[in-house]
Amino acid sequence: MNTSLRTTTYALLGAFALLIVSVIYIQAIKGPDFRDDPRNVRAIAWLTGRQRGPIISADGVVLAISTPSPSDPKLYERLYPEGSLYAHTVGFTSVLFGSRGVEQTRAADLISNRDATISGVLNGLLGGDTKPRGVRLTLRDALQTVARDALGEQRGSVIAIDPTTGAILAMVTYPSFDPNTLIGPDAGAAGEALERDEDDPLRDRAIRQTYPPGSVFKVITAASGLDTGLVSPSSEFADPVYLRLPGSESTISNYDGRVCDNGTSVTLKFAFVKSCNTVFAKLGMNLGADTLGGTAEAFGFNSEVPFEFDVLTSFFPLRGTMQDDPPATAQSAIGQRDDRATPLLMVLTVAAVANNGIMMAPYLVSEIFTSEGVVEATTEPVAWRRAMSPASAGVLADMMEQAVISGTGTRAAVPGVRIAGKTGTAETEGSAPHAWFIGFGPLGAESGDPQIAIVVIVESGGAFGESATGGTVAAPIAQRVLAAFFGVTDTR
Amino acid sequence: MTRRAEAGLIVAACLLAAIGVAIVEFTQGNWLDAQVALTFLAFAAAFGGVYLAVIRWAPGASSLLLPLAAFLTAIGFIEIYRLDSHLAALQRWWLLVAAAAGALVLWALRDAGVSVLRRYRYVILAIGIGLLLLPLLPDSWLVYGATVNGSRLWVRIDIPGASRVMSFQPGEVAKVLITIFLASYLAERAEAMSVVSRKIGPFEIPEPRHLGPVVVAAVAAFLVLVYQRDLGASLLLFGIFVGMLYIATGRSFYVVTGAALVVIAGWTALVSFDHVQRRIEAWLDPFGHFSEAGYQTVQGLFAMGSGALTGSGIGLGRPDLIPAAATDFIFAAVAEEMGLAGSLAVLTGFSLLIAVGFGIALRSRERFRKYLAGGLMLVIGLQAFIIIAGVLRLMPITGLTLPFMSYGGSSLVTNMAIIALLLRVSHEERT
Repeated sequence: MNTSLRTTTYALLGAFALLIVSVIYIQAIKGPDFRDDPRNVRAIAWLTGRQRGPIISADGVVLAISTPSPSDPKLYERLYPEGSLYAHTVGFTSVLFGSRGVEQTRAADLISNRDATISGVLNGLLGGDTKPRGVRLTLRDALQTVARDALGEQRGSVIAIDPTTGAILAMVTYPSFDPNTLIGPDAGAAGEALERDEDDPLRDRAIRQTYPPGSVFKVITAASGLDTGLVSPSSEFADPVYLRLPGSESTISNYDGRVCDNGTSVTLKFAFVKSCNTVFAKLGMNLGADTLGGTAEAFGFNSEVPFEFDVLTSFFPLRGTMQDDPPATAQSAIGQRDDRATPLLMVLTVAAVANNGIMMAPYLVSEIFTSEGVVEATTEPVAWRRAMSPASAGVLADMMEQAVISGTGTRAAVPGVRIAGKTGTAETEGSAPHAWFIGFGPLGAESGDPQIAIVVIVESGGAFGESATGGTVAAPIAQRVLAAFFGVTDTR
Repeated sequence: MTRRAEAGLIVAACLLAAIGVAIVEFTQGNWLDAQVALTFLAFAAAFGGVYLAVIRWAPGASSLLLPLAAFLTAIGFIEIYRLDSHLAALQRWWLLVAAAAGALVLWALRDAGVSVLRRYRYVILAIGIGLLLLPLLPDSWLVYGATVNGSRLWVRIDIPGASRVMSFQPGEVAKVLITIFLASYLAERAEAMSVVSRKIGPFEIPEPRHLGPVVVAAVAAFLVLVYQRDLGASLLLFGIFVGMLYIATGRSFYVVTGAALVVIAGWTALVSFDHVQRRIEAWLDPFGHFSEAGYQTVQGLFAMGSGALTGSGIGLGRPDLIPAAATDFIFAAVAEEMGLAGSLAVLTGFSLLIAVGFGIALRSRERFRKYLAGGLMLVIGLQAFIIIAGVLRLMPITGLTLPFMSYGGSSLVTNMAIIALLLRVSHEERT
């Protein structure tokens, strides 16, 4: 009698052991499959359905906001009212394509702290605010819009920065995409189309793409010469049609294939203003690979830029690799050969010139504020590195101003504002040259410091194709942004 | 275990329920409020009350049963509160009613003991069958049957004057009454039924006239299935019949015949009823029937899978997405929010309860008490297994409540009565 009772007991306990095995299989082994099933609303709810704090521009324009979902009262919908304009900076949070931009980097502030973690519970019990925080960016919507319109449908990017603080004032990239399409019901198809697109709209060209810097690198070569005391603006250089590179058959010529000034001699300043390759190639060889490399690294080449997002590291040939190779040094001195720079590093470069040689760490988030609008945290500007001496920066600024007054950068001039700048036309294999412009202003203002530094890069000549130069393609874009910044409407 | 330790564990279970409610309140953005205190008081009053009844009327009873029941009830209650605080408020009242029913059982049997039930076994059987048939009452009567989710399991009573409707599932009580009858019937007939008269192959076949009860069981369960369209209840009822016959006779013949009958009945049901067919299809391929019959099963799997090891946290998951989360699928809801840790705790709780209950049966010196304890534990164990196995997709989903944990007054009252009977049986072995 007890035997059958025991058998029954064991059978029932065995059945429960089967349940235990089965629940372990479902929760611990098969769990992720069920969790990530596209029909499981939880994944969507957890990632995108929770209330998130707003993201606003410096001038208060709403860039991202959560609204209660009309279909499910427990869910929120994220809306990016400005669409593609802030796609790479504000980013998105998508079930299928993950999280990008400030939506990713500031998720901890943007998502409610109300959870069951010990810190969450303690925070709530101690009367802490558990509502999601808002994020204010340094980007100015007015400037961002102008930058986008000025760049138009040309692949490239525009970044404007406050040189004294490092606050990014505008940062646009073309092509872009509408983040709203990546969170909607057709997100899968929209995202796949973006991933297939050969122009790679998902890439933030401002920080995730490097280009040969071309002549804008001459700012760094000049800084190297000035800082070491090797040259001054009035230093005389020979003015040949071709500069023969020692130990090789190759030569370097100027952009138009002519002499720089009179064919005999030319000053450094004149060569800078006209962007003569022969002079800067020669200066590079005079400096030597190590000195030039040291200056490039002082400007942040071969270093990770401290920023909100991962920035591709800009490259200058490592020290020791060009020591016995003057031709390579010559080409590197004019921003060709293996030199590669992100647009962000080039705007930091010109900002350092504007800021007495101090390169500020760039930042994108200015404030974190509570749901009541009380500012909780403010980003304090920090210096990233000293790029050059204040004296050299002053001299360079003067040379750059002349480049805008009478040199290659005249199309960046803004009436009534003293602008400094440098153009670049970077030769690239297999495509039209990339057009660069870097600049800043105002110089000599009563307020003292320059207020804006800018970089423009247009890939493969943009609308101008093979005939494009930094002066014809990039400088006018910079002009529109600078004019808008200074409130100048008539730019003729 | 001492009574003092038992009291400590009961207090711990009461605190568990109250803390769970506090966490839910917090995650909903509220502060600690009266709900936390009310929950603690309701649990303390209910389980404390039964505890006092045990000390007064069954002091020799096992001290392991009440803490386990309190633990399972607390876990279930937290999840019910999280899903629907109004349901939870009702469940609190039901908990008090259930505790009163448990105490009433202990009080009623205080002198005569469980053996007094044998005297009334045919009355008990009649009431049991009557209750089982009650949902078939026509709709126009004052007391009438109601069909919920395709199954006719409910009885509703319109209370005259007040426009209130009281509803309950008489099947919950009926299965206990039928178990009591079976225990008593088998205690008398078991020996005769286990006499072997002939053999067919490896099976020893009892006298044909002793087959009567099995056939009756099969027919009754099948009738319940036909008229009430309730897969779970009929399977449970049939399992209790077969299980108790096996316990009493030790003849595996009953189990084999029973299993064969289940297959035949199941097959018949499959070909004759659309809703059974749909359930089988949804069981075999729930993802292929996501938008229809498979929806509940898939949502349960989503919930459990999302819960993973430690769960989403109480109040932070989405168990509200599972249909019938507070009743049939309470296990999936707990597994989502408390994770594998929580679901294993629940399964361990039930396993311990089964071990304790059958331990009481094994130690019983008298047939009736042995069968009664074994049968009652079979009711809880089988019911828990059938519904959890359905949620875990080990078998088709059947509409049953998870003992102690699901929302439902009839279920809670019944299970507390079962615990009270088990407590009484264990007490009688000590005296």
